[in-house]
Amino acid sequence: MTSRQTGKRISSVAAEQRRRNARRKGARQTGKNEPLPLGERRQLIRLVACGSIFVLLVAAKLALPAQMERFNEKLSAALSSNMDVQAVFSALGRGLSGDADSAAEEVYQAVFHPAEARETAAQAALPMPQETPAMDALREQREKALVSETTEEQALTEAQAGEQTSQSPTEVSTLAYVLYSDKNLPEDVSLEQAILDFDYCTPVSAPLSSTFGYREHPVEGEERFHYGVDLAADTGTAVACFADGTVTAVGESSSYGKYCMVRHSGGYDTLYAHCSRVTVSSGAAVSKGEKIAEVGETGMATGPHLHFELHRNGVYLNPIYYVSTS
Amino acid sequence: MFQRAEGRIRVSFGFCLLTAWFGLVNGWRPLGNLLGAAAVHELGHCLALRCLGTAWKSLRIGVFGAVLETNDSRLSYGGELICVLAGPAANLLCAAVCAAVGRGRWDAAAGANLVLCIFNLLPLRPLDGGRALHLAVSWLAGPAAGEVTARWAGGATGVLLGTAVVWLMGRSGGSLWLLPVAVGAYFQTVDEIFGKQAFL
Repeated sequence: MTSRQTGKRISSVAAEQRRRNARRKGARQTGKNEPLPLGERRQLIRLVACGSIFVLLVAAKLALPAQMERFNEKLSAALSSNMDVQAVFSALGRGLSGDADSAAEEVYQAVFHPAEARETAAQAALPMPQETPAMDALREQREKALVSETTEEQALTEAQAGEQTSQSPTEVSTLAYVLYSDKNLPEDVSLEQAILDFDYCTPVSAPLSSTFGYREHPVEGEERFHYGVDLAADTGTAVACFADGTVTAVGESSSYGKYCMVRHSGGYDTLYAHCSRVTVSSGAAVSKGEKIAEVGETGMATGPHLHFELHRNGVYLNPIYYVSTS
Repeated sequence: MFQRAEGRIRVSFGFCLLTAWFGLVNGWRPLGNLLGAAAVHELGHCLALRCLGTAWKSLRIGVFGAVLETNDSRLSYGGELICVLAGPAANLLCAAVCAAVGRGRWDAAAGANLVLCIFNLLPLRPLDGGRALHLAVSWLAGPAAGEVTARWAGGATGVLLGTAVVWLMGRSGGSLWLLPVAVGAYFQTVDEIFGKQAFL
């Protein structure tokens, strides 16, 4: 646009403005209402609509408090209830790869049953627990325990356990429930098999000498809950860090002996006890598989072994699913 | 409304609010996938325009999606049709690549691209499907026929889409972030049926 054209444009706009002002002035003088321009009318309509909604809601809140409370609850529930969009996208993506039937089912689940879809997606995304020798040992121990029981109730449990043994690997996660379901668990213990969303490794590959759960204490003699697993390795065997994390504690106690704790992502902590030597210091960043200690028999121990615990937000979990034994 | 210095990209506050809402209720990963797919979509349009020797004038991003405008009226029906369909085609290509190369890691990105492709192919203007239908029929049977076809198809699609989204929200007991889609679909229906009729 040239300067001449610009000047013309500005002068014509100014003249138009003058005419408009004169019309408005005339309208005010004669008392006639000039129709508002379209844009201003729209804004006025919006303002009136918003104001009306506000007044109506305030009036409803004052006049019908109970009904409004129920409405609020319903609205809150509707706002917090959402389909699993990420699962929908993932299912469609998988469908594009070729598995159209299951993709349609997954999309349906993600839209109408998002909670179940999230669980399924998590299980699909993470590897299923593998059958480790440690779990075989646990199974054998359980079978022995069941055989020794003579009461009718325990016979029933045996039947269930026998059925459980013949089930597929995907059902192994319920094994612990079968073992300890008739016991009063400590409050800070969970028998759930957590799905870890990070890479991990076995701290020490060694025979399992004591499992997670109630046992007769080897030193004290009374039945106590054992909050970890014992892996019987020779003194001096390197203890590998379970997963990436930060060392939160290094210490020595009468029961644990020399020990260290590592904080991992997702609120998980691991504890390595009865070590002969801890080779990391508190606050150090450690990575999966890195040597952090050496096996020993310090503290309350009857032989060289690693006592390994897994905690999630302060709750003890069974580490058996995450270790492999030799 | 945000506006870039050159005045070519306009992002409405409504879009920002809806994006924030979507991100808060669905998480940032699906939002990232969706915005990425939208970027691929617009890139497809831009590339097609560039290949045909035309530049885009403005990109308006609002609650009901993005609209890319060009000030070049020399584009033929065929050329404009190619530009309109280039966006969904880019999404489809991106989805296929993600599914083939990602080996399961990029499934969500592939799905987001697929959703955007399908949604944009609905015959409801200003979605690409509606514009493509209008252009194709106009090309084959004249502008009046194209307008009538686009209006009826758009009206029917708008009603169906709006109703489907409302049903979906009711059936799933939530997902209220879909509400603007339903409202937009109904508004477009009204606009198609009762709006200014250029050729009738």
